[in-house]
Amino acid sequence: MEQVIANGLYLGAQYALIALGLTLIFALMNVLNFAHGQMYVLGGFVVYQVYGLMKLPFVVALVAAAATLAVLGALLERFLFRTVIRRSEREESTMLLAAGIAYFLDAAILLMFGEKQRGVHKIVSGVFVWDNLILPWDRILVAGLAVLFIVAFILMMQYTKPGRAMRAMAQDRTAAQLMGVPVQFYGLVGFALGAMLAGLVGGLLVTITGVNSGIGGPISIKAFMMVMIGGAGVTGGAIAGGFILGMLESVGLTVLHAYGDLTYLAIFVAMMIFLAIRPNGLMGKPWG
Amino acid sequence: MTDPILAVRDLTKRYGGLTAVNEVSFDVQEGEILSIIGPNGAGKSTIFKLISSFVTPTRGEVRFRGEVVSGLAAHVVARKGVVRTFQETTIFKGMTARDSVIVAHHLRSRASLFGFFFGTAAARRDEDAFGRSADEILDFLGLGAVRNELASNLPQGHLRALGIAIGLAADPKILLLDEPFAGMNVDETNQAVEMVRAVRDRGVTCLLVEHDMAAVMKISDRIVVINFGVKIAEGTPAAIRADEKVIEAYLGVEDESIGL
Amino acid sequence: MLRMVPLPRFAGEETGACCFPPPCSEAKRGRGTTRRVVEGARRSALGYLGDEPMSRTQGAGRAAAVAVFLAAVFVAIPWAIASTGRTDLYYTLSSVALLAIASGGVWLTFYIGRINIGQGAWALAGGYASAVLVATYGWSFWLSLPAAGLICAFASVLVGLPILRLRGVYFSMVTLVLTEVARLTALALPITNGARGITSIPTPGPIRLFGLTIVPAFDSLAEPNRAFYFLSAAMMTLCFAGLWRLVHSRLGQLFAALRQNEDLASSMGVNVPLLRVVAYAISSFLGGVGGAIFVAIAQSIYPSSFTINDSVNFMLNCFLGGLGFVFGPMLGTLVLYFGWDLLFQTGPYQLLIYSGSMILLMLVLPNGILSLLNLRRRAP
Ligand SMILES: Nc1ncnc2c1ncn2[C@@H]1O[C@H](COP(=O)(O)OP(=O)(O)O)[C@@H](O)[C@H]1O
Ligand SMILES: [Mg+2]
Repeated sequence: MEQVIANGLYLGAQYALIALGLTLIFALMNVLNFAHGQMYVLGGFVVYQVYGLMKLPFVVALVAAAATLAVLGALLERFLFRTVIRRSEREESTMLLAAGIAYFLDAAILLMFGEKQRGVHKIVSGVFVWDNLILPWDRILVAGLAVLFIVAFILMMQYTKPGRAMRAMAQDRTAAQLMGVPVQFYGLVGFALGAMLAGLVGGLLVTITGVNSGIGGPISIKAFMMVMIGGAGVTGGAIAGGFILGMLESVGLTVLHAYGDLTYLAIFVAMMIFLAIRPNGLMGKPWG
Repeated sequence: MTDPILAVRDLTKRYGGLTAVNEVSFDVQEGEILSIIGPNGAGKSTIFKLISSFVTPTRGEVRFRGEVVSGLAAHVVARKGVVRTFQETTIFKGMTARDSVIVAHHLRSRASLFGFFFGTAAARRDEDAFGRSADEILDFLGLGAVRNELASNLPQGHLRALGIAIGLAADPKILLLDEPFAGMNVDETNQAVEMVRAVRDRGVTCLLVEHDMAAVMKISDRIVVINFGVKIAEGTPAAIRADEKVIEAYLGVEDESIGL
Repeated sequence: MLRMVPLPRFAGEETGACCFPPPCSEAKRGRGTTRRVVEGARRSALGYLGDEPMSRTQGAGRAAAVAVFLAAVFVAIPWAIASTGRTDLYYTLSSVALLAIASGGVWLTFYIGRINIGQGAWALAGGYASAVLVATYGWSFWLSLPAAGLICAFASVLVGLPILRLRGVYFSMVTLVLTEVARLTALALPITNGARGITSIPTPGPIRLFGLTIVPAFDSLAEPNRAFYFLSAAMMTLCFAGLWRLVHSRLGQLFAALRQNEDLASSMGVNVPLLRVVAYAISSFLGGVGGAIFVAIAQSIYPSSFTINDSVNFMLNCFLGGLGFVFGPMLGTLVLYFGWDLLFQTGPYQLLIYSGSMILLMLVLPNGILSLLNLRRRAP
């Protein structure tokens, strides 16, 4: 039992961080980032390259992953999303663009890193044992780092000037613009930040589950689910959604162990029923 | 007194801890122009949403010609003849003025939707009749010249008129107009006031929410004043002007927000 | 899915038919509006539904476009294939036609203002419905085809009633998840035979009416793929004709009203929830029909026959062709499918170039290929 909860929390911390990035991009740009999972995968491969192959310290690798993804996110916003948003008649067009980018990153990652499952050696070894609870130290460390990043993100959004500007922008873009917030610039910052969060989680989790070029899509879908459960565009919602999904997976995989895929079927169906009752998720604002 | 066309009884709406509308009751007589006024956030638009059944009341009820309509689906209430327009200029952006009004005739159609799919004779007859009726309504509201313009290209005044035209096309018995004069200058407002009078003279009872005091005083047969979700006064324009509670309520707020 | 096929030589064939500007009858309207009416005629013949008053003087132009289209699909293409011996193209073009049908369904949900990334679920459901009816219960394929469509339509009413209340990205994300639900359900149910799928499904039998054979059994034909091509192309023509009629009927006008403003529509007395479900049911019907024919061609179906990738592709087909055009999904499917096939020779770079050009296309033509017609009008 404790084991199930501990696993749920560990998964939840990672998921929450992924969902935060997705929801940030959505809140600021009204873009559903289909390529979020691919950004996660890219982060994993950067750490694999720097930490696993080049044998540099893990911290350096993690910073490299964050920086790579932040730059990638900024470039995508500046040169692709901004243009399409400006030119298109319907804002849904960004979905096509995002889907195209997802395919593109998939292809690029496959070409650069091949299709093999890649892992790196443990960042710390040993196992934490307490009563019947058994947790490897590296999982605890990774979960701790994820929580640390979440807290840092919340603090930044609450107390720094860019954070306040982005919150204002998420509330009401036009009003924020009238108040003098340079919305274009913060759109770029938000995109970079969202991509960076995805890369950070990828970089953290590669040390435990490894990474392969095919998991981008499934990760995106999980991220979508978390955001839907919690409510799109809301920080608290993303965090709640992440932990809820983590917990559900942990419980489901234990209870429905024998049936494998049934866990996800059950989660999906439960989520659709939940959304039928609460169309805006737990904390989402009414849409449209 | 005759039976009211619309009777609002103890209408209450709570959003979480906030009581947006609190125990409001009033009657609307057939053929009158009744205005609801009050400061911003008083709960006027919420009353409209409750009457038109876009939201369900926490307590209380709305009767239209004696029949309880609160709790029914919005489109059912609209078909009975309680039609609302929106505070924001809400229109079909991608359609021409004429097409928007034609679409709004949907209620009156006798041919089935599948009749329309296959273009049966009844459907074609309806189609023509709707076109003629739409033209008539557009001319009536002074939109004849812009009937083939895209709605999204129309100026503010025309948009308000188009909102009313769409409402009229749905064949209302009572039309709820949410701030029909907002964003208009004096000339435009005067024209719009005449427009609302003309609508009433067609036999449509009008219920207004409005900020523009001058216009309200000019146009209304009776006025209901709402403050913090509560009805604080009801009466003729002259009586409202002299009412102390009203003056008090309005003195507490900035002039601009009530448009005095 | 059914992608890795040899390089086609004349992919432009059908495109030509699609883009053919019909000779417009000179308008009988006022002087100043002539140009606009003519342009309107040209674009409305292509099913453009945009921001212009629909002119009603384009009968001739439209008829010509339809005639050219029919001649190309049912005469020119079979003739060209016969004379070049590239019979493999029958299979490719059948796939395009079927995917276009499913995309047409997605287009209809776009038309009511919902971004549907779940058509793969209905294609899969339709495929399985037909497969089970034919292989397990011994139904004729010809009966199973409408049955598959109706089963999908019915199921989509049940699913649609709750999820169509969702808007914007919520609806999109839920439909995306729906594709996964369909796949996992197919894996879990006994009747679908789990991961092993259903194989060796008999080909369509004959249709006999009053002792007359109207359609021969497909396995008695020398070239079953040719028969499948005619079947798919005919179904595509039928479905798009139906769609075109639909959006130009009153129902279509109401659908457009929903897309533009659901609240306003319901304030006029439009039964918004009902219309949304009707549109979604029609959309799923098309998905199911497309899936069912696909299964008949492949003679097998697996849980992975239609996946999230297919759902996304259906959506992309609509975007790429142009959401403002009824025939957009047809063109989009053709271009994406052949684009992908053409890139086959680039080997490992196929996906990279494919997605790269998709991104480029988005930058250049963010409103779809058919929006080129609008550009030409704006720059006189
Ligand atoms: N959907 C809602 N959820 C929560 N609060 C609401 C909602 N709609 C209105 N309110 C609140 O109810 C009060 C009355 O709003 P409204 O009826 O729009 O005022 P008015 O039209 O008189 O300016 C306001 O305080 C508003 O914030
Ligand atoms: Mg209001």
